[in-house]
Amino acid sequence: MNMSTESKKPLLVLDDISLSFKGVKAITDISFNVYEGEICSVIGPNGAGKSSMLNVINGVYIPQEGTITFDGKQFNKMKPHTAAVMGIARTFQNIALFKGMSVLDNIMSGRNLMMKATFWETALNIGRAKREEMEHRLEVEKIIEFLGLQSIRKTPVASLPYGLQKRVELGRALAAEPKMLLLDEPMAGMTMEEKLDMSCFIQEVNRNLGTTIVLIEHDMGVVMDISDHVVVLDYGKKIGDGPPSEVMNNQDVIDAYLGVSH
Amino acid sequence: MAFFLEVLVGGLLSGVMYSLVAIGFVLIYKSSGVFNFAQGTMLLLAALTFVSMTERQVDFKIAFIITLVMMVVLGIIVERTVMRPLANQSLLSLFMATVGLNYFLEGLAQGVWDSAVHGLELGISNDPIFLIDEFPALGLDIIISQFDIAAAVIAGTMILGLTLFFQYTRTGLSLRAVSDDHMAAMAVGIPLNRIWAIVWAVTGVICLIAGLLWGDRVSVSFTLTAAVLKGLPVILIGGLTSIPGAIVGGLIIGASEKLGEIYLAELFGGQGIEHWWAYTTALIFLMIRPTGIFGEKQIERV
Amino acid sequence: MYYREAGRLVKSFASDRRMLPLMEDRWIVIAFLAFMYIVVTATASDYLFSAILIPMMVLGVATLGLNIATGYTGQLSLGTAGFMCFGAFAAFNLVLRLEMYLPFAFFFAGVIAGLVGIVFGLPALRIKGFYLIVSTLAAQFFAEWVFNAYPWFLDNNSSGVVALPPHHYKVFLGQESTPFNAVFWHSYQGRYLITLTITLLLVLACKNMVRSATGRNWMAVRDMDIAANVIGISVAKTKLMAFFISTFYCGVAGAMYAYCYIGNLDFMIFNLRRSFLIMFMVIVGGLGSILGSFLGAIFVYGWPILITRMGDWIFGGGTLDTAFVENNSKIVVGTIIIVLLIREPGGFAALWLTTKKKLRSWPFAN
Repeated sequence: MNMSTESKKPLLVLDDISLSFKGVKAITDISFNVYEGEICSVIGPNGAGKSSMLNVINGVYIPQEGTITFDGKQFNKMKPHTAAVMGIARTFQNIALFKGMSVLDNIMSGRNLMMKATFWETALNIGRAKREEMEHRLEVEKIIEFLGLQSIRKTPVASLPYGLQKRVELGRALAAEPKMLLLDEPMAGMTMEEKLDMSCFIQEVNRNLGTTIVLIEHDMGVVMDISDHVVVLDYGKKIGDGPPSEVMNNQDVIDAYLGVSH
Repeated sequence: MAFFLEVLVGGLLSGVMYSLVAIGFVLIYKSSGVFNFAQGTMLLLAALTFVSMTERQVDFKIAFIITLVMMVVLGIIVERTVMRPLANQSLLSLFMATVGLNYFLEGLAQGVWDSAVHGLELGISNDPIFLIDEFPALGLDIIISQFDIAAAVIAGTMILGLTLFFQYTRTGLSLRAVSDDHMAAMAVGIPLNRIWAIVWAVTGVICLIAGLLWGDRVSVSFTLTAAVLKGLPVILIGGLTSIPGAIVGGLIIGASEKLGEIYLAELFGGQGIEHWWAYTTALIFLMIRPTGIFGEKQIERV
Repeated sequence: MYYREAGRLVKSFASDRRMLPLMEDRWIVIAFLAFMYIVVTATASDYLFSAILIPMMVLGVATLGLNIATGYTGQLSLGTAGFMCFGAFAAFNLVLRLEMYLPFAFFFAGVIAGLVGIVFGLPALRIKGFYLIVSTLAAQFFAEWVFNAYPWFLDNNSSGVVALPPHHYKVFLGQESTPFNAVFWHSYQGRYLITLTITLLLVLACKNMVRSATGRNWMAVRDMDIAANVIGISVAKTKLMAFFISTFYCGVAGAMYAYCYIGNLDFMIFNLRRSFLIMFMVIVGGLGSILGSFLGAIFVYGWPILITRMGDWIFGGGTLDTAFVENNSKIVVGTIIIVLLIREPGGFAALWLTTKKKLRSWPFAN
């Protein structure tokens, strides 16, 4: 926290990323770094390309140009599966939980990459299959406790209120023990209290587990409060990049938010 | 060469009939996002009702009008009782509902009438036309079934009429809006339920026409329900939401089926490949274009 | 219900993960199995074995197979009977050509059907959702065609139907009536016990998969494949595995259908209509439910029999003709499917759960 970013080593390097859909440019030549252990916020008006940026980072969208370097490895095309293996987990703007499964199963599924049992071992419930279920359950229970989800462990997620669903989704992402966590508007549509809870969770994860966090958020109060580093996008271009205090006083950023006559 | 052309033309003509069935699918898919599996049985119900009435000495025209009214009413009832309560459900459950409806109508049609095989004579001549020396430049002699041509003309007229209707009328515009986005269409005041009812009624009419044509060709019996299995690969090739796709898909399936039967069947130890050949053709097309020729590719937003 | 979870301390993850966490439930299931194995075997009539119990279990297994693909993994399949056909013919040829002992033939018939399932499931990697039914329908038609066009599969028998010869039910150990010899296999009791045991094993295996990573991956792909991909589940692998296991179950069911139920091999039986009937069993019973698979099979298979019996009982023997019974079942089953989809998409299994819940607080409203 609050260390100068230059002294730290970048975990993620985005280099000249451009993305378009059928000719419509969503992202134009964006480059920035995310440093290890920081909380990096990506902000910008609606349609600025923030969600597309996250989708590029973990390979849901494939950019036409540019490279992504994560943890020292360079990718032209990141794939979601590779991203997960490399240690990138995320949550979605519109909750993407597995609606037919319980809270426990949703969070357990976050650890699927660590489970090695084959289907026939699980069918017979022998050896690794049985052992793994117990071992990972222990880790998942820690997350459940951390997020305060004990009482709804076995509830199907579809029946939970919005705020809790967002929390479960964070739990599923945490279950993978990621190096980097991408959070797409984790506090959108929440009440004040829920927002407070969520920003505490985010900061605790960052502080205690050392997880690097990239988040998209519209609430400037929260952003300025918890971020080490802010990246500002507008119309698919980067217009600001630096510590919160610096970005806040950047004229381009102010113009983008308040509007300016051209 | 002449033989090849003859087969091809025959295939294309029967393809028009497939297109007609397929358009019924497309209309319903476009408006309510469901593949109407019950269409084959609706076809059977229409043809069976018509033929049973004419067999009981009801006048041809009166029987036609009664059946027409019945099919329209049936379409509206189905929309009211089955599709409307299931609006916004997943594709899977909507499809299953139409499969259930299919089973229900099957029992109903055969329970009310019977499951015997009925001959149907619409009065279209079945004599072949000999095109001999018609194309001296090509030096080809081609034999084409007159019935096929008549059926193709009727089907083609229907298709053209429907296309014009949905392209140039208010209802057509509303339908296209609905197929684009239910919510947005509702927000601008398009009466969703009425559009659905119209679509189901129109489908009923299509089923009647197709049922009569197919019934004349292969007689009216339970096998008519197989029309749905003929129409399915057609719209999968064409794209589930495209009327031109249904036409092109129908022609492709019609032609490939006939050509496959003649030229490929030998390879596979004799007869009977037509059942899976259409599906294999569809599968090949889908592997190349997963949403069909004219289907829209959806960008998945997360 | 006079027992419930409340007040029972779960002391370990293992006990929390049991199939039946409540002791009473375990006793009920044990009692039920004891009843099926001992009382039914000793007392049931040949008619009950051959026309009710065996086919219901066999169709239940096929329904479970389809449920794995459709209910748990969200992949629509209309080729169930086709895959059963592959299983039945595989078992026949394994016994005929390799002189395999029947239970092993059943297992490998399942494996062969599973491999066929993978082949026809491959398009699922590229085409999505509804478009997939084209590939499973192709499987169905291909099965019907291939076993008709190539009599080799039917031991060069051109009639299209083969009665399974007694020596297929191989003598394994001695001449006494033990589960390992032909005498046993030829009695209805024997076939019933074999069917019951295989069904039980397959249900246990399915339950185990569903409550572990395998099942979670299936359901993750079903509920939201993009999110599944993002958390590192290989969607392609999961789909293919689900297809394999689903068609394995269908294949075993097909083999049992031929050997334990009808006693002959006939590709005409495994037609598209049967595929649809099995899909109805899934819908009526409940998508994504093991119990539901069997409830659905029992209802859809049992309804026409019930109607016939009722007709005999009320109007005297043989009054209801088969056409009436058939049309009646179509109307009833069709209506039930539509009503269930509108009112209770979880099918009979969900109805059972709600009833149980209501009974708990009975006579108070909940």
